[in-house]
Amino acid sequence: MIEIVKPPPFATVQDFGFPAGRAWGLPPSGAMDPVLLGLANGLVGNPPGAAAIEWALGPGTIRTDAKTRIAVLGVASIAVDDVVLEPPGLAFPVAAGATISIEPGALHRYSYVAIAGGIAVPAVLGSRSTYLPGGIGGLAGRRLQEGDRLEVGAATDASVGDFAVVVPELREPAELDALVIRVVRGPQWDHFEAAARERFFREVFQVDVASDRLGYRLSGAPIQPREHSTLASEAACPGAVQIPDGGQPIVLMPDGPTVGGYPKLAVVIRADLRRLAQCGPGRSIRFREVSLEAARACYSEGR
Amino acid sequence: MSQPAPAIHPLGEAAWTVALGDRVDEATHRRVLALSGAIAAAGIPGVGEIVPAYAAVTVFFDPSQTDADTLRARLATLADDGPTGGATDRPTVRPSDRPTVVIPTRYDGPDLDEVAGRTGLTRDQVIQLHSAREYRVYLLGFAPGFAYLGVLDPALVLPRRSVPRLQVAAGSVAIAGGQTAVYPLVVPGGWHLLGRTELRMFDPRREPPVLLRPGDRVRFEAVR
Repeated sequence: MIEIVKPPPFATVQDFGFPAGRAWGLPPSGAMDPVLLGLANGLVGNPPGAAAIEWALGPGTIRTDAKTRIAVLGVASIAVDDVVLEPPGLAFPVAAGATISIEPGALHRYSYVAIAGGIAVPAVLGSRSTYLPGGIGGLAGRRLQEGDRLEVGAATDASVGDFAVVVPELREPAELDALVIRVVRGPQWDHFEAAARERFFREVFQVDVASDRLGYRLSGAPIQPREHSTLASEAACPGAVQIPDGGQPIVLMPDGPTVGGYPKLAVVIRADLRRLAQCGPGRSIRFREVSLEAARACYSEGR
Repeated sequence: MSQPAPAIHPLGEAAWTVALGDRVDEATHRRVLALSGAIAAAGIPGVGEIVPAYAAVTVFFDPSQTDADTLRARLATLADDGPTGGATDRPTVRPSDRPTVVIPTRYDGPDLDEVAGRTGLTRDQVIQLHSAREYRVYLLGFAPGFAYLGVLDPALVLPRRSVPRLQVAAGSVAIAGGQTAVYPLVVPGGWHLLGRTELRMFDPRREPPVLLRPGDRVRFEAVR
């Protein structure tokens, strides 16, 4: 059992998402950074897609009621029973009743707290993810609150090691340059003049404050489609770069709508969607086009 | 009648969208459902979710399990078989065989008077026109279980509200443009609310969780 002693402003249970909901209008949902989730799970002996806590926007504290092993990835500082781990551990054993305080860092908008055995909220439609807009899945379909108790699954012997995993040298990369996000051409590429497409790749955009698990709004020079581009609603997907009236791009995220009528100029490749998801408000990004073949290779090779 | 050749666009590196034109009408939608059914029935390894829309079918796939270009060619072949191909005869692609779904509706929505005023009809005429027709489910989206139903009587066609509501109650029966729908969950919404139903449009514990499926026929019935 994990108890939420003091919740961060935004925390939900997430795994790799709903496997088959799109045709019903249920988005895949799931972790904003599935790679970080998978790493956290691996460090505690879980399958990569086990359910964990997706942690965002501020500090908080959790407590375990049994000896176990925990991995916390994407944070600036971790304290166990008020003792700060130096360097911040990635995965470590914790005693029964231990209190773990977590402080997110500037590099990650979404952090992950995995526990040996995984969070064992009931699976709904094939997933333990929380789809917040619909109040579906996770813990009662909602954010974690103070006093919540999360059941934990049975851990394998291997998952409760008595050793810590730390990163010996964790340097923050310079954040001065715009982060390059790779995209492939979207289904409505032809709805845009060459000049608009060139601007999309030349322009530096900022991640807008109005960005969440549904989608990231980008501010910058507007990108206008040819005349009035209308489209009978068709499937969208996480990573789709929609250009609504007004021309400010919106990149759909895992909780975003399954269908839409806005033209999709580009689609962020799967390998880079998590990198965009980790960008906080104000972060500068720019887009670069890659081929479909390159996009698939980036994903399978993890680069 | 010959159909335009389907255009197949990538929706990212792991999905193909087969576009069957740009018209929103029943004939196009029948082709969409026939193709969706044919793709599902083909049982192609690596093919995941299939999302039919008004005039397009999107097929999500796992590029590590299926060659993307081979799949694209296969989809083109299935689409070329067209409405007279074998696909349409499969039982799996005839969801319209399901009986008409009747949605008991209490017509007491907060926008009923405004709709009547703006359309120049009486409240009773609005209710009568809305409940007289049989609608077709064209698309599920916007929210889980939200079914876009058409086509609305032209006398009831209004643009969306200029200021959307931040919260629309689950079960709200609403209209906008040429369409009508039932809000499945409490969500923000800009449609005009005519009434309420107690039917659950989306229930994760039900199999399938949605009440309405693409191609279904739907009628609203006024209740007190």
